[in-house]
Amino acid sequence: MQNESRIDPKIIEEILKFSKNVIDAPKLVAAPDEINLEVTPHEVVQKIDKTRLLHYKPIIETKHKTPLLISYALINRFHILDIHPQKSWVRNLLEQGFEVYMLDWGTPTSMDKYLDFDDYVNGYLDSSVEYIKNQSSTEKISLQGYCTGATIATAYTALHPESVKNYIATAPVIDGWKDTTVISNLAKHMDVDKMVDTIGNMPPEFMYYCFSVLKPFEQGIEKYVKFFKNIDDKKYVDNFLRVEKWLGDTPPIPGELFKQWIKDIYQENLLIQNKMYVGEELIDLKKIDMPMFTQVAVGDHLVSPECSMPLHYAVGSDDKTLKIYPTGHVGMIASSLSQKKVLPEMGTWLAERS
Amino acid sequence: MQSKSSKNSAESPKEMTEYYKHLSLFWTDIIHLMSSKPQALTSIGPMRAFAANSKKIAVELIEINENLVGFNQYITEYYKQLSNAWGIAQKKVNLKVPKIPQDTEQIEAMKRIWIDIFDNDFTELFDSKKFGENYGNLVSKELELTKHWGNITNVILQSVNLPSKEEIDEVYNEIHSLKKRVSKLELELKKEKRKNAK
Repeated sequence: MQNESRIDPKIIEEILKFSKNVIDAPKLVAAPDEINLEVTPHEVVQKIDKTRLLHYKPIIETKHKTPLLISYALINRFHILDIHPQKSWVRNLLEQGFEVYMLDWGTPTSMDKYLDFDDYVNGYLDSSVEYIKNQSSTEKISLQGYCTGATIATAYTALHPESVKNYIATAPVIDGWKDTTVISNLAKHMDVDKMVDTIGNMPPEFMYYCFSVLKPFEQGIEKYVKFFKNIDDKKYVDNFLRVEKWLGDTPPIPGELFKQWIKDIYQENLLIQNKMYVGEELIDLKKIDMPMFTQVAVGDHLVSPECSMPLHYAVGSDDKTLKIYPTGHVGMIASSLSQKKVLPEMGTWLAERS
Repeated sequence: MQSKSSKNSAESPKEMTEYYKHLSLFWTDIIHLMSSKPQALTSIGPMRAFAANSKKIAVELIEINENLVGFNQYITEYYKQLSNAWGIAQKKVNLKVPKIPQDTEQIEAMKRIWIDIFDNDFTELFDSKKFGENYGNLVSKELELTKHWGNITNVILQSVNLPSKEEIDEVYNEIHSLKKRVSKLELELKKEKRKNAK
């Protein structure tokens, strides 16, 4: 009896409130399937195989002559860059007067298992750049790559410097041996030849496993507890569900591309040593000689800053800037910090060179 | 046979597997040779093709067993590592939070400590060489199992005249290289046109 009297009634109250929130959740919140992640109006201007080139409709009059093409990562989909009107990377750039294109890699099927770096760099990305150059009557465009999309964009910029006026690398995957994340440890011990020969494309389920080992208790338990606790907070819940929906939608990665990415970046670390081949061409990072802007996040647990920063020192550009932000991998592109600091700084830099 | 069997019982599981594989192949081959002529009468039926390839299934099943032993070894080690990390992390939590929390603030503080310690300890484990190596081996064994399962399926597919995985892959590869060549030519043409238009 003595023990019972010592329990704080607030604990019981909290438990009851939490249970009520769990029961009320379906009444208060939209199902993830009902949420549309493509918020900023755009049109599909080019389709090649499963890829789509999106052109965003201007919000204000375009102020800068050089259009910007974004090369999104291979994991998850491009929606994170346009996740919410208040946190949209794309919308912010449109509001700053840039003309924005996005390359959606699409969802590869078993038939696409032989797609490799060469197809992505010298095929899909080069075709998109060519399309934009034709449309805007310019000889060069600005290119931004995010995460593994920046690995592809880096290879492209090194091979086609004549087409890139400014290059922005956001959390690029570059120096696999310096990467301190769990992903890198798993990648280093993977028999990727056997994996691709046996199952073809890298299935989304495998990617989910790799992500589940990143901060497993914070991401696997605490995040959902917070969600149910804040079920009445519309803004929080909307943002949470959008990010969750984005996290749960990752396409397979074409087998050959995955094999080369794991081997050349994580296992043999060829890109930073200027030893990586795309198709039959050698990637020499010194050939990246245009203005370059690198963005990294100190709390990035997917691509550690040590993995990204070597790019800044390896390129041949004289005009280069490295920015380090106190946030994480997703926080850098879809948060209030990205809206208030990351994008304005990038926009100012780009505007001066566009 | 008796003496061979007794001799093998003292040998390693790998040698035992090899022995049983040989035994199985011997009998399936002999039976196949003995029965192939009468079967030829029904050479267009599915059972003929299936019987001709059935020894492959026997071999695959034996090798699956061998891989299952390895798979079990690595998955046991996987859960052992997780369980050890859990035990150590829980001990650390117990040292930091010796008393049962009495109010909501204490519960919140305890939860924070628990999450921080568990996340740190598990990240340390997932980052370690021993975890990476075991995980790599575990995935490798899973892939071996998938491969054998695929080989068995191929036998069945061939028995009804459907293409095997390798044959489909060959078609995919051919389509890929054709598309690549066409795309490159198209892109070059576009670039040339733009140059000439200037």
